[in-house]
Amino acid sequence: METLREILAPDFLLRNSVYISLLVGLTCPLVGVYLVLRRLVFLGVALPQVSSCGIAAAFALHAWHIIPHVEESSEGLLAFAGSTTLTLATILVFAVMERRGRGLVEGRIGAAYVLAGAWSILLLVKNPFGEHGLLDRLKGEIIAVPNADLALTAGTFGVVVVALFLFHKEFMLVSFDRDMAVSLKKNVLGWDALLFVLIGLTVSVSVLSVGPMVTFGFLLLPALIAHLLANTMRQFAVLAAMVGVASALAGFCIAYRWDLPVGPTDVALLGFLYGAAFVLKKALSRRSAGAADVPAV
Amino acid sequence: MTDNWLLSLDGVAVGYGRHAVLRNIGFRLERGSFTGLLGANGSGKSTLIKSIIGVIPPLSGKIVFTPRDGREPVLGYVPQREGLDAIFLFSSHEVVLMGCCGRVGPGRSYGRDDRDWAQRCLESAGAGDLSGRRFSELSGGQKQRVLIARALAAKPDLLILDEPTAGIDAAASRAIMELLGRIHRERQMTILMVNHDLAAMRKYIQHVLWLHEGKLTQGNADELLTRDKLEEMLKLQFS
Repeated sequence: METLREILAPDFLLRNSVYISLLVGLTCPLVGVYLVLRRLVFLGVALPQVSSCGIAAAFALHAWHIIPHVEESSEGLLAFAGSTTLTLATILVFAVMERRGRGLVEGRIGAAYVLAGAWSILLLVKNPFGEHGLLDRLKGEIIAVPNADLALTAGTFGVVVVALFLFHKEFMLVSFDRDMAVSLKKNVLGWDALLFVLIGLTVSVSVLSVGPMVTFGFLLLPALIAHLLANTMRQFAVLAAMVGVASALAGFCIAYRWDLPVGPTDVALLGFLYGAAFVLKKALSRRSAGAADVPAV
Repeated sequence: MTDNWLLSLDGVAVGYGRHAVLRNIGFRLERGSFTGLLGANGSGKSTLIKSIIGVIPPLSGKIVFTPRDGREPVLGYVPQREGLDAIFLFSSHEVVLMGCCGRVGPGRSYGRDDRDWAQRCLESAGAGDLSGRRFSELSGGQKQRVLIARALAAKPDLLILDEPTAGIDAAASRAIMELLGRIHRERQMTILMVNHDLAAMRKYIQHVLWLHEGKLTQGNADELLTRDKLEEMLKLQFS
């Protein structure tokens, strides 16, 4: 409780890191709900890796003077541009290939994951500024977050959450029954494109803030936990966001109290909660099955 | 009399990629008619339906809907229920509400009128008591009733059903056909139904479209579904 009070104090030195963790904990699970529902979990693994590669590529191009020099204060924007460009371009390529129906979807996503991982390392190794905070970003060290990065994250996630809320009805319809949506004259391609742009923006900004592993953890695990326990779609989304926010806060407290890296602590905590939710679900199912077996008197 | 045609297909070829499954298909659906689209598995029935609703663009030819009072006909589509993923935690009422999505603009929520209308559609499909039940946990026949209610919620001019009685027991299948017959009778609804269960549908349909080896045979049910004609067509089917 003491630790919680300390990290929530307005003059806490790492307050921006706390805010970033909470924003990621709120937004990534809401986006992750769609990845789980559309059975695109592997995309949730690959996109953060692609996003990291985009950041590494942007800094490499900068170091090799292929793109114009930017001030140190604008490095966040440079990383954002690299991350977002490569993530959205990858989503576009996946969408076009899926529409043409050629090849294996899992194969494409797997190839993107492994290639993005390899290129991230190669670009960092050959970048004289590779150690300059970039490795920390990719490892998920949420330590020093400048105000500009916090503002960018809050702004982007604000747009994503509002859009998910406003167009929930359309996103659900095209995800659940695409053919029905077409028969109702809905612009299915347009809604799919908007949903994937929101996913891409969330992933790229989150990777920029907390790294690929933590991003994937918050995209996937809260949604899986919520799906085990929820009875309705509304509960599913609300519970996923609540699990994400609570884990982000608890993870930060634990990491601060025992001097652990924040990102991996968050993900380990989510893993523990997933196991606990699974056991709880099994116990509840057994109990309701047992109650059903009791003969009526 | 063209005003009485709701849908017209002229020289239509449909298929996937550049591969045509059906070529030179032509027929018209009269308003208020009940038509059965028959054919063996793989004959192209579902592909043709998907082209009519706009999922798969025709490779050639024209699919034309005739507007009435300057308004394009509204489609109510009942898909094969196996295609709907059980991972979604929708209640039956939420599934039916989706039928109202065509009338509720982007960014707007469903209103009380839409919710009441969805409940009325569930009741008219004999599924009022399923409103709060999770859709994925319903039996095949119950799901079919909910999907018919969803199509009705769109306030359609043309109801298109893709194998509504496939994979459900004979009693549930009869009940579904009875429901469709009642909807057709009471609302003068135009219905196009894909089915390969001739026994289930022959009592209700007025017109038959029979697909075989890429060719379409069509006519009145009374003429085409006689013993002699059926033997002739089934011989074709299995030859």
